[in-house]
Amino acid sequence: MSIKSGYFNKHLHVDLTKGTAEHQDISDAFLEKYIGGRGFGAKLVWDNLKKHDFRVDPLGPENLLVIAPGPLTGVYLPSSGKTSFAAISPATGLYGDSSMGGGFGVELRQTGVDVLSITGRAPELSVLFIDNGETTVLPTPELKEKSCLEAEGIIKERLGTYAIHVATIGVAGENMVNFACVNADWSRNAGRTGIGTIMGAKNLKAIVVRGHKDLPAHDVSGLMEEADKAYKYLKEHKYFSMWQQEGLMNIIEYANEKGILPVCNFKDTVFAKHNQINGATMLAHYKIGDSACFSCSMCCGNICLVKNGKYTGTIIEGPEYESCAMLGPNLGIDNFAAILSAIRLCDELGVDTISTGNIVGAVIEGYERGILSLSDLDGSEITWGDEDAILELIQKIADRQGIGNILADGSRRIIEKWPEMDKIILQVKGLEQSAYDSRAGITMGLGYATSDIGAHHTRAWTVAKEIEEGQNWSDDEKVGIVIYHQKVRPLFDMLGVCRLPWIELGLNERHYENFYKCVTGKEASLEQLLELSNDIYNLTRLINTRLGTTRKDDSLPYKVWANPPLTGPNVGKVIDQEDFQKLLSLYYQKRGWDEDGIPPTGLESKFED
Amino acid sequence: MSKKLMVIPEQCSGCRICELVCAIKHFGVNNPKKSAIKVLTIYPHPVVRMPIVCSQCKVLTCAQVCPVDALQRSDGVLQLDKENCISCYKCVDACPFGAIYVHEDYDLPIICDMCGGDPECVKKCPTGALRLIPESTLGEFKRLNNVLSYTQMKEIEFYEKGERKVIHYAEVGKEEL
Repeated sequence: MSIKSGYFNKHLHVDLTKGTAEHQDISDAFLEKYIGGRGFGAKLVWDNLKKHDFRVDPLGPENLLVIAPGPLTGVYLPSSGKTSFAAISPATGLYGDSSMGGGFGVELRQTGVDVLSITGRAPELSVLFIDNGETTVLPTPELKEKSCLEAEGIIKERLGTYAIHVATIGVAGENMVNFACVNADWSRNAGRTGIGTIMGAKNLKAIVVRGHKDLPAHDVSGLMEEADKAYKYLKEHKYFSMWQQEGLMNIIEYANEKGILPVCNFKDTVFAKHNQINGATMLAHYKIGDSACFSCSMCCGNICLVKNGKYTGTIIEGPEYESCAMLGPNLGIDNFAAILSAIRLCDELGVDTISTGNIVGAVIEGYERGILSLSDLDGSEITWGDEDAILELIQKIADRQGIGNILADGSRRIIEKWPEMDKIILQVKGLEQSAYDSRAGITMGLGYATSDIGAHHTRAWTVAKEIEEGQNWSDDEKVGIVIYHQKVRPLFDMLGVCRLPWIELGLNERHYENFYKCVTGKEASLEQLLELSNDIYNLTRLINTRLGTTRKDDSLPYKVWANPPLTGPNVGKVIDQEDFQKLLSLYYQKRGWDEDGIPPTGLESKFED
Repeated sequence: MSKKLMVIPEQCSGCRICELVCAIKHFGVNNPKKSAIKVLTIYPHPVVRMPIVCSQCKVLTCAQVCPVDALQRSDGVLQLDKENCISCYKCVDACPFGAIYVHEDYDLPIICDMCGGDPECVKKCPTGALRLIPESTLGEFKRLNNVLSYTQMKEIEFYEKGERKVIHYAEVGKEEL
């Protein structure tokens, strides 16, 4: 049975150099095979690489930026507001993608396209405006050096409407800081892998969308019924109201208790003053409102305001766990208001909070250990918890001032300049690590090492399960759970929905086969969908290995092998190299890749059309 | 008993489920732009999430400007006479709240019909920002909120069976008003 609905069968391609936009038809076979979101991203990035003989400079006009919601984006089911951004990443030089919530992807779909791809470079700083099918490139030199939030406001004013969605970059993106993000709906970010950097390199300040079209769906009443069951399940879950209240901030306490919280650049995993920066503190003193992505009942987003002290008036949408952990305990900051201020600064500048937290943390430790001298730091000292110095350094990174000019190029460049920093900075393949320590669970390490975009938890987040149930897991089970996560989590990114209802509140993944069927009219079991997701994992591996990735790149940061956490439940724990290599071999074997992690020859033919 | 659709913007998360279910109920499509309720989000100055929907005013400003009397109240709810409406959209301009909507696929103005007394948006709102309440209880939420912020609230933290709890209370007579 083939696809009956769920798509517009349209691909909008924009060439910023030529200033052209064209709608291309997409075949049903393509839609069935690649589904949407990251699936479209990987396929179009692969095609573009082949077109350029595998020589694509991430910051060159030839790098194709793909923005793809999925067939479920914007329809009535829990948390359907996600969209993926994919390209060759400036952080890793390999395949990179990052997803964003909010309402941007919904609006993009409503303009009548399934996927948008952008190539070229605009002659001057510009905004791409897609207005219900009409596409224009507006020169906007007046937006130069405007923060993400300011730019969104100015664009809305200039176009004379608030009923648009704006995805914009900040100063960091314009300055091509290696870990710049794209910010939409004021504070929703496609944060990782330097997607904002690519927009900056394309002279593209913002993408603005306005659409009114119906989102195609085969069986709306069937979908309504299935979705209502899922919403009901979530609403009755014992942790539902806690999610509405604290959102991802509830993980701070959990991470601290289990010893997976990054503290002082992952030197430790337990934070003495966790009480001052956790969800309860946020609720008691800072939170003034809820915020949700499109069609999400869990509303994990918070709105916080600092009401007194030095940072009075700081308002942010957030925080969530990663940003709070990376800019708080990871930098030794125990003042919640200062953390909020740092997050707000990152939102305005348009830099990824995870990479920024890692790099600033590494600088502080590098200085502490004497690897960086005071003159390297342009004469200003920086130490754990020094809020002013930390905020100043973040600003310097975005502005590329002094040491900021080197830090802005990301961990690979930092290690090149100061080789000893390799032992300090936590990164895999050039992407800085998420805020979950992997020394507490080897499967988390395997997940980071084999993630197609670098050390990010988006593909596999197995650490909690391993801590709770995995003490006696066999190697087979360990590899099995990582591969299962790498199939199911990317599937959410292909469908264009959020994974949190599943991973956090246990919404059965079977729901998604029903959602898929109601929207597309095509019958596909979860197993079949997971196989399609797995094909994309093979495709991104193919991209990476063709660009030079081998077994030695599927590794972990030095600290994970050599420096155990100083206190807490995982004191003394590191990941053993030999254990890890054994697991990695088994992982390759189960994936059907060779001992060096290379997928079989002939796999390429699978992705030809 | 006459019931009102009440909006509590402080509790709105901006998820727009109300828009979706309204469009599905009335047009059978997933299209938040075809709804009679819309969430307006303003950030960061000020921070507001405000669902905007027909207030069922007693004085119908919209009906007063209608040149063909296509807007009438029946059973306490504003109804659009679809046969006679000439789609001039005078009502859209006249509504003081901008709570009447227009979509390019559909000639008639889109106006809340309270779903025949059981609004879909109220049923599906996950945060309690939309409520259907007896008209005479309107304002209760505001009154309570106002009192809570007006009185100087004190706070005591305590633990009950290991769980942290907080009691808020007003110290009567201690504050100079």
